[in-house]
Amino acid sequence: MQRLLLLGLNHASAPLAVREKVTFAGDARDRAVDALRLQFPQAEIALLSTCNRVEIYAARETHGHPRAEEMIEFLANFHGIDAASFSPHLYQKTDTDVVAHLFTVASSLDSMVLGETQILGQVRDAYDAARERGATGALLNPLFQRALAAGKEVLSATAIGEGRVSVASVAVDYARRIFDSFSDKVVLSIGGGEMAALVLQSFAQLAPRRLLICNRSPERAAELALKFNGQAVPFENLSDHLTAADIVVSSTGASQPIITARQVAGLRKAMRYRPIFLIDIALPRDVEPGVGEIENVYLYNIDDLQQVVSGTMEQRKDAVEAARAIVTRQVDGFLAWHRAREMGPMIDRLSKRYHLLATEELARTLNKMPNIGDAEKAHLEELTRRIVNKLLHDPITMLRRSEGLHGTTSQYLHALERLFQLNPDGDGSDNADGEADLAQDA
Amino acid sequence: MPTTGQILLLILAILLFSTGGLLSLARTWWDRETLRIAAKACLWCGVAVSLGVLLWHMLSRPGGSWIPLEDNFEAFVWLAVLLTGFVLYVQRTRPLGGLDWFVMPIVILLLIAAGVLGKAKPQEYVGTTWYWIHLSTVLTGALAFAIAGATGAMYLQANRRLRSKSLPQGPKLGSLERLERITFTSVTLGFALLTIGLITGLVVLKARGQSRLGDNWFASPKVLLAFAAWVVYAIVLHAPINPSFRGRKVALLSIFGFVLMIGTLVAVNFVPAGGGAH
Repeated sequence: MQRLLLLGLNHASAPLAVREKVTFAGDARDRAVDALRLQFPQAEIALLSTCNRVEIYAARETHGHPRAEEMIEFLANFHGIDAASFSPHLYQKTDTDVVAHLFTVASSLDSMVLGETQILGQVRDAYDAARERGATGALLNPLFQRALAAGKEVLSATAIGEGRVSVASVAVDYARRIFDSFSDKVVLSIGGGEMAALVLQSFAQLAPRRLLICNRSPERAAELALKFNGQAVPFENLSDHLTAADIVVSSTGASQPIITARQVAGLRKAMRYRPIFLIDIALPRDVEPGVGEIENVYLYNIDDLQQVVSGTMEQRKDAVEAARAIVTRQVDGFLAWHRAREMGPMIDRLSKRYHLLATEELARTLNKMPNIGDAEKAHLEELTRRIVNKLLHDPITMLRRSEGLHGTTSQYLHALERLFQLNPDGDGSDNADGEADLAQDA
Repeated sequence: MPTTGQILLLILAILLFSTGGLLSLARTWWDRETLRIAAKACLWCGVAVSLGVLLWHMLSRPGGSWIPLEDNFEAFVWLAVLLTGFVLYVQRTRPLGGLDWFVMPIVILLLIAAGVLGKAKPQEYVGTTWYWIHLSTVLTGALAFAIAGATGAMYLQANRRLRSKSLPQGPKLGSLERLERITFTSVTLGFALLTIGLITGLVVLKARGQSRLGDNWFASPKVLLAFAAWVVYAIVLHAPINPSFRGRKVALLSIFGFVLMIGTLVAVNFVPAGGGAH
């Protein structure tokens, strides 16, 4: 009987300093899968490594390898670090919990940013790499395939991937609704507050043509310019910078607006009337509200952006619930399939074993009754067959309904295997399908 | 002239395009992958049915040319098919949310126009080289202007959404920059084709001795509307020289120009001197 095991850590269980120690960068993941495969040839292995998580998925026989401690040892040896430095941050899951976890991960419900789509590609990549190396098999193949299907369904059928959840991401979202590309755009940052730095970081990721940092303090401007690969420019020439800019992020501590409607209107001709996106995240405001009424000028202040953030969060509550419902349905579907897959052969072995015992005992008895006729012999054979089926009917029915009674189905199957010595290698019976017989007689 | 069977097929195409547009619109409230696929399938089926009608119409025409572009019916159906083809191409290469909402009403109107106005008889000057150049450039130009009109309308809607600063509802309509670029490219292409179409149209008129439009051909609604559309698009193309003419103004003028263009193709059918959409 196969069991699932997961060992890993993620952004919730481990800080970045720990995660970066055990991450598998470049081709390290593929080498690790090969090494695990070599070390545990009987097991199925898959390794998911992203900037937010490192997880090893294994499917093995009940008393097979790898075990959790062996996986920890592997991680420590592979990275050449002390296991104590990361093991307190590890989580370990088995069977049903592994299934639920992987489906949740693939659906981005376990991600730092809910609804991000990158994780689905990363799970697919991890699975493909393991499959190409022959590390996956009868259990991990369907597990990953169904997890990917669940993730895809969640992202396409719910609104979980829509909207943004931070002021910076909302600002970028609006910028994308105005501009098609950013490689020819100029971003101007005025002021150097913490929020401005966050917004600037988001815009820097869009790789604009120029990133101008304008601050009353040249030192602070130079610091931010260095951080975001921008260019520090003097505050005194603000009008010139405004003329050059397509996107302006303003967050100074000024008590009066530093950008007025008259000023912008006067600059429009020099700007060739092209669209300009102004993000005013200062309190009090840096940009006069009248600026936003000028044609092709789009002005958003902190309230506008936060309103979208809170609205998005509200919208997402429903989406998260819908996504969880999809994950639950997909997990249940997989578990039902897995139960049927595990239970069928076990019941078959149980049935065959006891029919074999009954047949042997009957043969022994018949040897002591040499004068018995064929008709009576047939009646006795039928009698023993029916007795075995009646005896097995209740345990098998209970087994089929076992999930959630006093343990998982896997636990029941494991107990059955041990109690009745149903080792698949030890069953040489070639009786007719016992399960079919049971169904007929029950 | 279309037969009853062809009209029925045309109605089927209209239903398919309408269903496709509605399914796409439904995704605003119920965003499901199945809806997207169903909407796309409806558009493909609509295109197939429309092409079938065109082929049938061409084959059933006694003594017609091999090019299925001989009367109003074929011209309008071609426009509808090419416009839908544009939607399907864009949605396949670089999707533009909501494009089908804005284009499908135009497609449906064109098909209705084909059914209603398609009964006009083919022109007497059909078959000359100048005529074919005139017809193909004017129709391709009309297609470009239809695209410009649709993306112009999308620009206005996207701009309105941005100005309202409300929580985005429904699919993204594409960035203003992209919509403006598509509008401008379409107008540039359409303007060049319309210019050729107008010149070759004059050549055709001259060759026919202006008999059909009369001696005052330059004052006929068809010529005046076509010229007005040409002037509007010339103003749109003026935007790079005078950048204040960009954004909303370009979008509004593109829509207005397209209305004039449709007027040229449709309204003149009701004017005796107009003599059909060509």
